[in-house]
Amino acid sequence: MNAVPLACARVRVLLESYVDGDLARDDAPLAAEMREHLAGCADCRRQHHQAVSVPFRLKALISPPPRASLLADVMSSIGPAKTGYRRAWTLVAPEAILAAFILWYLSGLDGLSSIASGIFGDLQSLAGWGSGTGQLPSVPRVDIVLLIALIALAAIAGYHLSILIRLAPGALPTRRAARE
Amino acid sequence: MNDSSPGHPGRRYGWAIVIGILAVAGVLLALADISAGNRWPNPLAQSIVGSGITVRPTPSGNPQTLRFDRSRVGDRFIFDSPIAGFGPLNPYQALRAFLSNGAGLVLLALGALVVFPSRARSAVERLEARHGAEIALGAGLVMVLLTLAVITLLRFTLLFLAVVPLVLLVSLVAALFGIACISLAIGRLLHRRLRLPTVHPLIAALAGALVVFDLAVIPYAGVFALAAVAMAGLGLAVVTRFGSTSGWSFVDLDW
Repeated sequence: MNAVPLACARVRVLLESYVDGDLARDDAPLAAEMREHLAGCADCRRQHHQAVSVPFRLKALISPPPRASLLADVMSSIGPAKTGYRRAWTLVAPEAILAAFILWYLSGLDGLSSIASGIFGDLQSLAGWGSGTGQLPSVPRVDIVLLIALIALAAIAGYHLSILIRLAPGALPTRRAARE
Repeated sequence: MNDSSPGHPGRRYGWAIVIGILAVAGVLLALADISAGNRWPNPLAQSIVGSGITVRPTPSGNPQTLRFDRSRVGDRFIFDSPIAGFGPLNPYQALRAFLSNGAGLVLLALGALVVFPSRARSAVERLEARHGAEIALGAGLVMVLLTLAVITLLRFTLLFLAVVPLVLLVSLVAALFGIACISLAIGRLLHRRLRLPTVHPLIAALAGALVVFDLAVIPYAGVFALAAVAMAGLGLAVVTRFGSTSGWSFVDLDW
């Protein structure tokens, strides 16, 4: 047995393991010294009383009932965004209308192939002009209505893409969604 | 990929059997696609499997010299089709199409997975999640519209005309990356559904790429199937930002 009595600071460090019974199991002589100190020190005895009573006081606490909307709130926060899906499907209509209008304006697939061949030809002319062997190609005249339709289709398609990216599984929320 | 127990000895060769079946199926489908010819709704068949007849006689009557086909073995293996209205059967050309286009597709897919393994994994995980495939396909369709609109718009400029090939190149690279991820996802699906033993992920991706090739050479439907896979690949690459873990974010732009 240790001849030097335990200091209060050391007793309070060992108090938790003493209350749980671990100290008596692991170091019986030290537990006996703890008992001796507690018998003679009112402050440490008060600390011991509080430590012993904490589990009982916790059990006596009544858990507050959850609010009625808890389940609905949790399910709505983890479930798929139905409005997002609806908006994604809704955008198909204006995209289809604009695409059909542009195809009609360009006279169908023949018009698209003429645009492709025109791009290829102008790129060749541009390369020739750059190397000094040809003239600068001219920009073809285009109706503003067609330009507006192309810009609108690009804008709607871009917005549609942003919605699909947000709906994709595993996508991280943007700051705007976090603020909302 | 985690393994279930080896079980039956035949399962040891499961992947070899599956890949063999897919390769044979690819050659047979290419044979049928060549025979079906270049008729609607199979307008792009020749761009995938090539022409049924590879040698055209010159006006002098002598066959033209083919720089890359000195043996001309394929000329001896052209048979009449048993089905009326279909072109001749050319097994050599079918094998050639498999070894060229099929091998090219496999090499590109495996190359993308080798160079970007973590990005591919991130993209495949999101593809395999709920609604992942549908969103990828939808995004691909929207990307096609967006790309066509942008290219048509740029056509009417001189300054940005040179950007058009770059737009097409980026779209092609994105589609190829997406096809590589889809190949890996198909390989993983085969591993789960057929309960195949553990194998190197590139072997699974090889099997998946062969599935994509087989879909592409189905007569009449192959072009549309390949277009759907390419669109889904493009959409997957765009939605996942080439498999980036952070995805699309504008946080850095808001300061």
